[in-house]
Amino acid sequence: MTSTGAGDSTDHAEILDRGYRRFDGRRSGVAGAMRSVAWHTTRSVLGLGRKARHKVFPVVVVVIAFLPAVIFIGLTLILGNDLFDGELVPEFWELPRNSIAATVLFVGLVAPEALVRDRRDGMLSLYLSTPLTRLTYLLSKIASVTGVLSIIVVAPTIMYLLGLTFASAGPDGFRDWMLALVRILVSGIAVSVLYALISLACSSVTDRRAFASVSVIMIMFGLLTIVDILIGSADGSEYLRLLDPINIPLEMSARIFGADGVYPEIATAPVYLANLGWFVVAASALWLRYRKAGA
Amino acid sequence: MGDDVAVGVITATGLSMVFGQQRALDALDVTVQPGVTGLVGANGAGKTTFMSIVLGLRAPTVGVVEVLGLDPMRQGAELRSHVGYGPERNIFPEDMPASDFVKHLAEVRGMPRSEARSRASDALWLVGLGEERFRALGTMSTGQRQRVKLAQAIAADPSLILLDEPTDGLDPVQRDEMLALIKQISSEYGIDVLLSSHLLEEVERICDHVVALDAGRLIAQGRLVDLIGDVEGVTIELADIADVPDSVGAVIGRLHAAGLEVRHEPEAFVMDVLGASADDIADAVRDAIADSSARVRRIEPRRRRLEDLFEAAAL
Repeated sequence: MTSTGAGDSTDHAEILDRGYRRFDGRRSGVAGAMRSVAWHTTRSVLGLGRKARHKVFPVVVVVIAFLPAVIFIGLTLILGNDLFDGELVPEFWELPRNSIAATVLFVGLVAPEALVRDRRDGMLSLYLSTPLTRLTYLLSKIASVTGVLSIIVVAPTIMYLLGLTFASAGPDGFRDWMLALVRILVSGIAVSVLYALISLACSSVTDRRAFASVSVIMIMFGLLTIVDILIGSADGSEYLRLLDPINIPLEMSARIFGADGVYPEIATAPVYLANLGWFVVAASALWLRYRKAGA
Repeated sequence: MGDDVAVGVITATGLSMVFGQQRALDALDVTVQPGVTGLVGANGAGKTTFMSIVLGLRAPTVGVVEVLGLDPMRQGAELRSHVGYGPERNIFPEDMPASDFVKHLAEVRGMPRSEARSRASDALWLVGLGEERFRALGTMSTGQRQRVKLAQAIAADPSLILLDEPTDGLDPVQRDEMLALIKQISSEYGIDVLLSSHLLEEVERICDHVVALDAGRLIAQGRLVDLIGDVEGVTIELADIADVPDSVGAVIGRLHAAGLEVRHEPEAFVMDVLGASADDIADAVRDAIADSSARVRRIEPRRRRLEDLFEAAAL
C-alpha cells in the first residue's frame, strides 16, 4: 500500500495487489520438510491449535507424568535428605514406572493420531508429492511421537534430578551429576523411541483411530498379561518377560543406570537384545506397511 | 528452474510400467511441452501411474524419465520442491483452516515460515478464497475445496503443477471458473501445467498440448491445434418435424443418391457428410433438405475432436 504521511490526502491511497510472486530464495529441502511435518504432528498430537476437547487427554497425561517427580521433590525438600533412610525416594530409572499406565494409555490413545489422521485426511499423498519420501515422512513421525513421549518419560526425571540437586540430595560431584543426566537422556529417549515405534507400527494397520488405539493397547497390555499368566500360573521362565513390550524397555533403562532392575533374574545382554528385537520388528512392520503407500 | 527447460518439461522414453500381469504403461515416448498440457484418457488409461512416475513415487519397470531436467527417482526430493500437485481425492483435514493447510504445505515444500504464511494468503486470494481463508476445510463446498487444492499446489512457487481431475464434482459455472484459473496460472505466471482429465471437452478448451493415453498406450500427442480442427466434410444437424415423418431419412437418402457418404448414429439428427469438396457438399445438403421438406439446425465444416482420436485408436 502506498504510504500516506499524516498530511497526505487519502485520495492518493492505492490498494496493493501483490498478485502472484516468484520466489528466488533458498528452499529448506528435505530437512525443512521433515521439521515442518514433525512440528505439525506434535501440535496435532498435543491438541495445540485444535478444539479444547483435543487438549484434555494430553494435559491430563502430562500432569500425571510430572506428579510423582513433584511429590518426591516436595517430600525431599520438606522432610530432608534421608527420607525414610532413602527407601521411599525412587532411583532415577524408577521414576517413569510411577506413571507407566498413563504413558501406555497416551501411547495407545494419542500417538495413533500421528499416522492415522494423515491417511484418513489424504495428507499422505500430498506429503509424498513434496520433498519428503516415505522414509523421511516416517522418520518425521517417529521423531515427533518420540519427542512428545520424551516430555512424559524424560522431562519429569530431569526435573527430579534438578529438584534433588536443589535439595542437596542429588548425585555427588559434577562428574556423577553429568553421568546421571546422560543416563536419563539416553535411557529416556531409548524408551520413547521404542514406545513410539510400537505405537506407530500398530497404528499403521488401520485407517480408524479407534481401531489403532485398540490394537496398540491390546498388543502392549495383551502381551504383558499373557507373559504374567505364563510365568505366574504355568511356571514359565522369567526370560518370557523379554516378550513384554511395556516393561522390557523400562528394564533396559534400569540396566543403563547399572541397576539390577525389576527382573534381576534376566541377564543384561538379553534385555538389550530383546529391546533391539522389538525395535527391528516394529520398524520393519511400519516400513512394510508404508513402503508402497500413497503412490 | 523452469526457465532452464527449453524443450520438454517432461520427457519420457520407452516408459513401461507393469503390475503383475497388467501392463499399466506400454513403451511410452512422451514429451510434455511448456504451457498447459492435457493428459487425457479413460479411467485405467495410465494417467495416475504416469503422474506417480513423474513425481518419483514409482520407479518405471522400463524406460527413462526426465522432469524439469531432473531424474525423478534419483533427484526426487529436489524435483518435488519445484512441483505442485493437486490430487484427485477431495479429502482434507476437516478442522484445519484453509490458510493453515496451504501454509503448512508451502513450508513442507521448502518455503520459510514467514514467506509461507504470506504466500498462502496470496494463493488463496488468487483462487478467489481470500475472504474464506480462515474457514475450516470441513465447512467448505466441493468447489471451494477444489480451489484450495489449486492454492496449495501453487503456493510454493512451483515450476510445474500436476492436477488430477481438478474439475471433478464442479457445476458448469464452477468448472468454467476453475479452467480459467488454470489457464491464468500458466499464461500469466509462467507455471507449466499437466492436467489429467477424462473430460475431453475441457482439455480442448484450455490446453496448448495433449497427451492421449488408452490402456497404457500413447495414441496421440502434440499441439492441440495440430490434433483437432477442420477436416474434410461437413457436419449437419437436422430437426425432427412432426408433420413430415422421416424427413431425416429422406435427406440421408438424397445425399446417398448424390454419391456422398453419410456417417451418423442410428436415430441421430447429427451427421457427417463426406465425399466431395465442402462447397459441393453444402450445395447437395441444401438441395436434399429443400427436396425433403426437412428443417436444419446447423451446418458447418466438419471438425476433428479429441474424441475422434480415441475412436480411431479403437478401430
